[in-house]
Parts: sequence; structure tokens; C-alpha cells
Amino acid sequence: MAAVAEARGADFPVGMKVLVVDDDPTCLLVLKRMLLDCRYDVTTCPQATRALTMLRENRRGFDVIISDVHMPDMDGFRLLELVGLEMDLPVIMMSADSRTDIVMKGIKHGACDYLIKPVRMEELKNIWQHVVRKKFNENKDHEHSGSLDDTDRNRATNNDNEYASSSVDGGEGSWKSQKKKREKEEDEADMENGDPSSTSKKPRVVWSVELHQQFVNAVNHLGIDKAVPKKILELMNVPGLTRENVASHLQKFRLYLKRIAQHHAGIPHPFVAPASNAKVAPLGGLEFQALAASGQIPPQALAALQDELLGRPTSSLALPGRDPSSLRLAAMKGSKPHGEREIAFGQPIYKSQSNMYGAFPQSSPAVGGLPSFGAWPNNKLGMTDSPSGLGNVSNSQNSNLLLHELQQQPDTLLSGTLHNIDVKPSGIVMPSQSLNTFPASEGIPLNQNPLVIPSQSPSFLASIPPSMKHEPLLASSSPSNSLLGGIDMVNQASTSQPLISTHGGNLPGLMSRSSNAMPSPGISNFQSGNNPYVVNQNAMGASSRPPGVLKTESTDSLSRSYGYIGGGTSVDSGLLSSQTKNPQYGLLQSPNDVTGSWSPSQDIDSYGNTLGQGHPGSTSSNFHSSSVALGKLPDQGRGRNHGFVGKGTCIPSRFAVDEVESPTNNLSHSIGSSGDIGNPDIFGFSGQM
Amino acid sequence: MDYSNLRRQITSMKKSLFDQGYLDEQFNQLEELQDDSSPNFVEEVVALFFKDSSRLLTNIEQALEKYPQDFYRLDSLVHQFKGSGSSIGAVRMKNECSMFKAHCNNRNLEGCRRSLQKMKREHATLKQKLETYFQLLRQVGPRERAVNSWK
Repeated sequence: MAAVAEARGADFPVGMKVLVVDDDPTCLLVLKRMLLDCRYDVTTCPQATRALTMLRENRRGFDVIISDVHMPDMDGFRLLELVGLEMDLPVIMMSADSRTDIVMKGIKHGACDYLIKPVRMEELKNIWQHVVRKKFNENKDHEHSGSLDDTDRNRATNNDNEYASSSVDGGEGSWKSQKKKREKEEDEADMENGDPSSTSKKPRVVWSVELHQQFVNAVNHLGIDKAVPKKILELMNVPGLTRENVASHLQKFRLYLKRIAQHHAGIPHPFVAPASNAKVAPLGGLEFQALAASGQIPPQALAALQDELLGRPTSSLALPGRDPSSLRLAAMKGSKPHGEREIAFGQPIYKSQSNMYGAFPQSSPAVGGLPSFGAWPNNKLGMTDSPSGLGNVSNSQNSNLLLHELQQQPDTLLSGTLHNIDVKPSGIVMPSQSLNTFPASEGIPLNQNPLVIPSQSPSFLASIPPSMKHEPLLASSSPSNSLLGGIDMVNQASTSQPLISTHGGNLPGLMSRSSNAMPSPGISNFQSGNNPYVVNQNAMGASSRPPGVLKTESTDSLSRSYGYIGGGTSVDSGLLSSQTKNPQYGLLQSPNDVTGSWSPSQDIDSYGNTLGQGHPGSTSSNFHSSSVALGKLPDQGRGRNHGFVGKGTCIPSRFAVDEVESPTNNLSHSIGSSGDIGNPDIFGFSGQM
Repeated sequence: MDYSNLRRQITSMKKSLFDQGYLDEQFNQLEELQDDSSPNFVEEVVALFFKDSSRLLTNIEQALEKYPQDFYRLDSLVHQFKGSGSSIGAVRMKNECSMFKAHCNNRNLEGCRRSLQKMKREHATLKQKLETYFQLLRQVGPRERAVNSWK
């Protein structure tokens, strides 16, 4: 340490602020002791969600984070991603698991380093390098790229060699080379864009929710393929923002989307299984937004998500996270009929609607954390790339669709998603602030529900079939639809009336966001709400949601689904309201519900896993399965917030798996009562789609 | 008050723990962390470990008996156990955890059960041995202990 201190001058790295996150108390104690001996300033935290809150409240409070990979409330990789995106702090992963593929995953998620337990003192002594390296690289980004890159890289390499942070022998070499490669790629990509970088060091840009929203909108508008920093910059029209800022942010965003896509692609995680809840849970604002952005998430889902994010207990946002398969179904369903349906949310995005179901074009799979969503099958949802305005709307829609999509067809989604993901993250992806506020539930008015609640809300469900004229959404066929149906219908109705009315309950998610109509408002909502969900708000408005999906084919099914949905009982404000509430909207229902219903046969061992399962592409099949699931709600899904909702999510309101537990049962009951899950009627499976 | 005798006992006990594979280098690291500012550090950590791991073992046992078995969850629990154990240098237990995980992967319920039994035995044995070890250390007193842990 003395040598290190000397090398850096002053007392660095003495007093460097380290945050250690690990659910293992023994390990936490040992690490704390070791770090104290290194003369660092140590804070320990046994819960990832709490750590995230702490970080959000005090971004500058820490220099580096050390986090375990396996944690019950949140997947370590998810935390890693969130921290990287929101706070841009170096994160070191650690685990007793030394498998190369896991280490690789850590690197891909942006970990600065990966330590194998038991962690040795020598390894901890060197962690200050990561802090320095990161700062140096950032400055470099703003500076003239070129020779500096090489120098820095060499330096990094040398450091790595000397200090051998990674303890995995096999992985070490590969880790290092991966890291170098990544740095190199980053540098190169940065240079690609052509414009001469300014030579002066620029102050770090804080990507606020608002800014990010603008960014996402711009990207959506341009189309992910055409989104070059220069154009994005022009579209954003933010004074003081440089092309370099945009370029580096775009890069991160792409990586993020890719990761999400991979998640959706059903890349099985060994971790996912155990930490299923945790994994999905983190869906927090990021994911939500991303989902929204992608427009794949049906508005309702978005709303639900928003609610969740906002911390609304009732919101059943969990949906998104819960069961990708179900989501997909929902999405799928919705998309079908929708094609024409343009959710009249009043948002320009409607265009995407039709596609939405087809594929989530934008699947901006939000935050990588959403494994459950599975790939947002772009194709499936057919989310057209909505015009920028869409950004907001599409987001919600996308997210909804995504959700649906996810549920339904993991497979299709996957393929589609990748593309979509890139597309439009509609900003939801990461509003740095919004995320934070998530828990704080800024109070995004429930009414933000972009989902557009049909005016007839009260009788919504009941009258859906007839009243839903324009909403074919209620696609009966898809069970998920039915779940979503409620939501979708709302969208379909394109009335901005909050869904809540529909079921008599409040669909917090749905309803509230009145932002339907405006794409831009979305952003504003975004801001105000700080809710990551904000995005949804707008998005929801956009007709995105697969009107078709929700639509239950027959009134009967409607009612049935209605029942399924939770029979109108006052649904907790949260659409998703954790299971306790009537499932009402499939998506909205508590995650458990969602999961249960959605993931019919797939193993839903974990949120993410489900996705991987690759439901057969066929929608119908999905539906069936989902419908089946509805009734049955596979154990996994139930009662457990798979990922998204449940514990660990930063969303304060969290659906709280616990709460959900009971509802789930209810849900299942209701589902069952509404008719056998398998009953096509309920889900309108009979081909209404 | 024959410290030299006690010290000999302590040294030999520690050596045997290492030789028999109960503990590894990590334990030494822990002892190195111990100093005047935290004179009972190792004992604290070990106590914390045994408390936490007992709970984990119970959870594992329960999870094993639940039907249908959730191997993912089992794997996750044992993984936690493994991480914990490795933090104090409990190498035998760590190895047994690896075996358990392998059985989990193969969904071999019987194998898991056997492994669990072994883990419990190792757990109990290590606990007892370390308790004796710390008792001896306490007898020699902090200063002597510091000298001892210096190895």
C-alpha cells in the first residue's frame, strides 16, 4: 500500500470509497476487514437493492463497487449493468464460481474485474487501478483519440499483467484479452464516427432521464441502424452536448441493448435459475423504459411497469419482468389484430402499433436485466419504427408488446428482438434520474397511463367486446391477451381514460398516465415523474399495445378473461398489482400472475430462463400455453416475482413477491374459474387473434 | 501458565487442521488480518460463518425434502454455502459443496442427499475443532495469540 500511495502521490488510494455488496455475511465481514486494511473507506451492504438505492441517492459517494454475482434480491450482473449505466462507476464482480463463461458474462456486462472467492488481500489492494483507469478512459473519450488510446491500453494491460486481478487462471488470460478488446473496440468505435473529437477535456455529461429520453427519441426517430452520433446530436439539439458525448452514450446503449437481446434470446443463465426472482426483479426503470422504448411493451404493461417502478404497490408492473413468455403472448396477441388497430392514443406512434405485435421493433430490451422478456422479437411485434414521437408512445407500446411478446414467443422474439432492441429504446432505457426516482415513486400519476384506458373503463372488461370496437386487441385467442386484454383494451379504446376504470380497480399503470397523447410529454413525464416508467406513459399512449392481444374474442371470453383478470375487483392501482390484485390485466397483475399465466409450459425457473425457453414461435401455441398457464400458473411463476417485480427490484413498491403470493393463488383461482385455462374461449384463443 | 506448552499445542493443532485438509491458506489470511484493533477477528468471522451456515444447511435440507425438488434453488443455496466456507478457508466443506452442485446438475437426488450428509458432518467436525482451537488461543491470551497468528 505504501508503494501504491507513493506512486500516486498524496494519499491516493487511501480513503478510496468502496461499496461492497454481498448477501453472504461472512464474506462481507472478511472483505470489509481486508479493505480497511488497505486503508480504503468501506461500506458494506448485504442487499443489492439497498445498495442501488444508496448509489442513486449519492452518486458521488463511492468510487468503486464490489459486488457478488449470486444474490437473492437482484442478480449481480443486473446491478452491474445498472450501476454502469446510471452511475458509470467501476464495478468489480466476485463469486465462488470461477467458470469461464460466467466470468465472460461479467466482462460483457461491463465488469472492471472479476474476483474469485475467496478473495485475497493482494487482489483487493489493486482495485484502485480500476477507478483510475476508468476516469482516465473517460477523459480520453473526450479528448482527442489516438495515441492516448494506445498508451492507456498498454498501461492497462501492463497493470493487468502485474497485478493479475483475475484469479481464474484460465479465465484470466481470456479476461484480460477480453478487456483489452473491449477497450479497443470502444476506442475504435468512438473514432469511427468521423467528426474530429475536440481536444479539450470535456466535463462528464450526466445523462439525466430527460436527456436520455431525448437521446432515445432521437435514436428511435432515426432508426437504430441509422442512428449516428452526429444525427442524434442534431436531433437532440441540446446545447453543450458534443458528438463525443453522444457517441459514447450510444455505444453503451447499444451494448445494453445487445445484452438485453441476448437475454431475450434465451441465453440460459445458470444463475438465472436460482435467482430467478432476483434476476428479473431489477427490471426497474431501466428496463421498463427500454421496454417502453421499444414500444413493445403494451401500454398496459408499461403502465404496470411504471407503477411498479414508481413503487406503487399495486401496480402490477411486474408483468414485464415476470414472465417473458406471457408477455410475449400478450404482445403477440395484441399485435395480431392490431395491425390495423392503431391504438389511438393520440400519439403518433401508432404506426408501430400494427407492427407492434408483429415484432417489437424496438424492443429496446431495456435493460439487460430483463431476461425474462426474452428477446423482444421485433419481428413479432412488428413494431414499426415509430417516428420520433413514437418514442414515447412506442415505448410504452413496445414495452407492452414486448411483454407480450416475450411471453409468447421467446423464440421469435429473440430473433426479432435483436434488431428491435437496437432500435428504439425510447429513452426509457435509462433515465438516470428516473431510475432513481423509481423507488421514490415520484409520483408518476397513475393516470399517466399511456395505455389509454378506454373510456368505458368500468364496464371495460365486460363490455369490451362490444365496445371495443376498435380494439381488436382483446384478442381472445391469446390468453395473455386476456390478461392484457384489460389493458389492451384500454389502449385500444384509445381513450385516455385510465384503465383503472375498466376493471373497476385502478390500473395504476394504465390509467394514470394520461400522457398517452404525447410523445413528448412522455419525456416530460419522464422527468417529472422521475419514473423510469415515465416513458411508459407516453408510450402507453401510443396505441402500441396490441389491441389485438387484449382482445378477447368473445364477450364470453372477455368476461372470462375478465374474471381472470381479476374480475374487476379493485385492482390495486398498480396494474400489475402483485398478485393480490385481481389479475385483471394479465400483464398488470402482479408479476406472479403474469408469470404464472404467461409462462405456461416453459420453465420459468427464473424470469430470464423462461425466455430462453423459446416458446414455439407460433403465437397460437403460445397462447395456449399461456392460457394454460393462466390457469395453472406454474409454480415458478407464481408467488414469485420473477425478476421483475419481486424483491430486489429497486422499485419500492415492488410487487413484493410476498404480497403477490396470495394473490397469485387467487389469480390462479380466478383463472381457473374463468374457464379452464386451456379453454380457448377465455383466452380468445379461438383464433380471434 | 505454561504458554510454551499451550503454544505448542496450538501450533500442532493448527498444523493438523491444515494437513488434514480442513483449512487452507485463506485461514492464514484471516489470521493476518487480526491485529490489535480487531483482536478476535478470526473467531468472530468463524462464529459468524457457523451461524450463517447452519441456517443454510437447514434450508438446503428442507429444499431437498420438498417435492418436487427445485434443483436450481438447491444449487443456489449450496453455492452460497460454498462461498461462505471458502471465505474462512474451509476447504473440505468447499469441496463437498462442489460435489453437491455436481449432483444438482445431474438432478441426482440421492447423490445430493449423500452429499448433504457429508457436508453436515464436515461442518460439525470443523466447528468442533475450531472451537477447541479458539479455546486454546484464549488461554494464551491476546499477546500470545498475536504471536501465534503471526505464522
